Amino acid sequence: MKKKSEKKRIYRGVEEMPIAAISESDMSWNKTGSWRNVRPLYDPKTSPCIAGCPAETNIQGYIKLMQQKEYEEAVRLLWEKNPMPSVCGRVCFHPCTEKCARGGIEEPLNIPAIERFLGDWAIENGVTETPENEAPRDATIAVVGGGPGGLSFAYFMAKKGYPVTIYEAKEELGGVLRYGIPEYRLPKDILDKEIGRILELGIKVKTGQDVGENVSVEEIGRHSASFLAIGLQKSRRLGLDGEDAEGVMTGLTFLKSINAGSPVSIGKRALVIGGGNTAMDVARSAIRLGAEVEVVYRRTRDEMPAIKDEVEEAAAEGAKLTLLAAPVAILVENGKFKGIRVQRMELGEPDESGRKRPVPIRGSEYEIMGDSLLVAAGELSNAQAFEKMVKTTNGLIVTDDIGHTTHERIFAGGDVVTGAATVIEAIARGRKAAKYVHARLTGVIVELEREKKVISMSDINEAYFTPTRQVATSHVPLEGMRNRFAEVKQRFTDEEAREEIERCMSCGVCNACDICWMFCPDAAISRQDGVYTINYDYCKGCLICQHECPRGVISSEGEDV
Amino acid sequence: MKIVIEGNHAVSYGAKAADVDVIAAYPITPQTQVVELLSEMCATGELNAKFIKVESEHSAMAAAVGASAAGARAFTATSSQGLLLMHEMLHWAVGARLPIVMANINRAVGPPWNVWSDQNDSLSQRDVGWLQVYCESNQEVFDTVLHSFWVSEQLMLPTMLILDAFYLSHTSEIVDVMEADEARKFLPPFQPKQFLDPKDPHSFGNLTAPDAYYELRYEIDEDLRRGIELMKKADEEFEKLYGRSYGIIEEYRTEGAEILLFTSGTITSTSRVVIDEWRDRGKKVGLVKMRLFRPFPIDDVRRICRPAKKIAVIDRNIGFSIGGIWAQEIRAALYNSGYHKPVFGFIAGIGGRDVTPETVSEVLDHVDHMDTPDQDVYWIGVKHEPVHSAR
Repeated sequence: MKKKSEKKRIYRGVEEMPIAAISESDMSWNKTGSWRNVRPLYDPKTSPCIAGCPAETNIQGYIKLMQQKEYEEAVRLLWEKNPMPSVCGRVCFHPCTEKCARGGIEEPLNIPAIERFLGDWAIENGVTETPENEAPRDATIAVVGGGPGGLSFAYFMAKKGYPVTIYEAKEELGGVLRYGIPEYRLPKDILDKEIGRILELGIKVKTGQDVGENVSVEEIGRHSASFLAIGLQKSRRLGLDGEDAEGVMTGLTFLKSINAGSPVSIGKRALVIGGGNTAMDVARSAIRLGAEVEVVYRRTRDEMPAIKDEVEEAAAEGAKLTLLAAPVAILVENGKFKGIRVQRMELGEPDESGRKRPVPIRGSEYEIMGDSLLVAAGELSNAQAFEKMVKTTNGLIVTDDIGHTTHERIFAGGDVVTGAATVIEAIARGRKAAKYVHARLTGVIVELEREKKVISMSDINEAYFTPTRQVATSHVPLEGMRNRFAEVKQRFTDEEAREEIERCMSCGVCNACDICWMFCPDAAISRQDGVYTINYDYCKGCLICQHECPRGVISSEGEDV
Repeated sequence: MKIVIEGNHAVSYGAKAADVDVIAAYPITPQTQVVELLSEMCATGELNAKFIKVESEHSAMAAAVGASAAGARAFTATSSQGLLLMHEMLHWAVGARLPIVMANINRAVGPPWNVWSDQNDSLSQRDVGWLQVYCESNQEVFDTVLHSFWVSEQLMLPTMLILDAFYLSHTSEIVDVMEADEARKFLPPFQPKQFLDPKDPHSFGNLTAPDAYYELRYEIDEDLRRGIELMKKADEEFEKLYGRSYGIIEEYRTEGAEILLFTSGTITSTSRVVIDEWRDRGKKVGLVKMRLFRPFPIDDVRRICRPAKKIAVIDRNIGFSIGGIWAQEIRAALYNSGYHKPVFGFIAGIGGRDVTPETVSEVLDHVDHMDTPDQDVYWIGVKHEPVHSAR
């Protein structure tokens, strides 16, 4: 900008004057900020997607980096909260998308598809990590259970530089990801690669180590800190006679056999009990084995705990859903399963889970015949081995908010603490515990993060966003699934990913759109390197910036007058 | 190239020949075809200009003001209520000294709603400081667009060129149009001395105290007066190049005339026929076509009126309670002339009522039979029998 003369020009009469009024010096002497009784301020907030994620994955942040084509930076930001995006992009129930504010305009972002795209991109491009060097000398860490919770804790500790050993009872790591979730939802090679990247941080793995059997609980307790994440091992039984008959098995056993490649015989017609994700996995796997499948669930589709997509896809693949029916007897002939007798139910008052309680209808019993019965009515924990060291209730390990058990050096997380929950919940608990374990071992005080306001739809200035449809995840045709364990949902193409990430509104987080800078009538906002500063000498407090901000970044507060 | 076009399209072709940079306009009957054709020209690339669609005439003029302040040759067109809505911005264009050119299609002001021609819309803007030029034919409309930019850009004041609704706007005539290359011989590119440049930021039209505001107003008045000579010069330069001239006032058969009839716009064409008839009958009458309304050519009016005995003025407009606006101006011009002439003021054709040769003859009859007017204003043709009104 040209330096303007400080001196006021004197015109000697009309002949010297310009034809129209034009300023000759600037108005900087006029400190209009003194008029202000309310001040705007840049006040970044939490995007609803991030608030919706149990692991607080910085979804807005990594999408913004993706928009800038910084994929590697993006995936590193994602890993800060969740080391397994390729897994979660496939199996998570994505509460982030449910919260996405774009859903208030037309359709929410397809966040799982974006997460999966980015996670797979990192795998394909061999992005690796190196540990930091923040761990104290001589500290050693044990993790019991190599499922998502244990892997998460191990990852975040190893990242700090701790020597970590995972004790895994089975032959391979992964827990429910490997032995529960079928191949068509989560291909094993993706799981292997994502776990492989975590282990590259220097994590030691001991498989076939069943604590309480061939490893002592004391050995675990000797480490500087240990983390118990053994998950839920036992299937809930129906409590009916005949559950041991030939042709009856638990859903977990069934899935484990398939995932392990063991032969399993379920006959031509399989009955599945349950409405959770395990039940859907069982039903869809049974369809792939060529069976005709009928799922029996005692409430309605609305109460099913399974991810909605999974229920829809199971139905589309041909699973018959028999709702509001509960088994009351298992029919056995010559030691072999023949069918079940079910009783019709109706919904009554909500129970302690908040779902409507199924109430039996008298005299409504009938029989459903089948060759096999796969029971997926929930899972139970098996934490007996640890009961002498840590407090348990109903088989679950008791911890405080940060995952600390009643034992000084033992932490716990995942389903063994929460009961049947989700992969992302387990990952979240692993990270949280790791943060506090590191703090305890180093004596560094963890500062509480300031709770930021979560943006709601009313904070978004809709005028700036053109409604656009979500780029849907494509999937293979859902008919004729026999023998097809290949992945159903397809990954976004580059073009699909680019199109979908552009829909992100960056709720509550400044993305240097310049709107405030352009609108400020006092030119009191300056910008440098994408950062804006308000000059309160001149800001009159009109709050046009706050009103116009497309994404609710700017807040205001009253001035002390 | 000679083509048959309506008056509105003569405006559009004129703007194209002037190679305007920015057109900001809002459609209104009877102006719509002006911007319709210009928007098409912009869309096809035939005219390399930015066409700005706006939500009102106030914004149309505001956008033209912005464009002109940034050094662009800016053009717009409107009519009636649209022009009235622009009023604040008309002052702005003058105060900021911006040579915007606008076509106004004379249309009566509502209510009652009326789309037909009269001059009250433009004449209501007589004191804002715009030049005003009233046209009689489609060719004159085309040529006046070029005159207007030529004069405006030298004076740094805006010009309104005016044509009657329907009588010109929607009536086709042969017009000799030219392309910008040819017109450039007459109208050089716009090169403002002072314009808005982000590299040298200033605020324009900023707060100005009484110690300087007064002088800036004085300069506008002085410069607008210079417009009389410049408008004459524009006409002369144009004639040298293209062979067409209109003057700022046209005298038609005024030699030895005792009665001078003053008209403007298309009533002039009708009056020519009547004057011919009266001359054929040996009556000493002459016609004066007023083309330039602002700046008002006081000296020329005095010179023309001096030899005559009586002055008659037909106004297609009404200044309520004081008569037609042209008559007021002519009376005022003559007051300090050093001589006295009776001025007869007639109102005719308001709201699109036809002004026929009979109407004009009736006016001349009045004047012919009286030495001095016995009324300050004569309304010609007021019906005193049942009126068939609403259509």
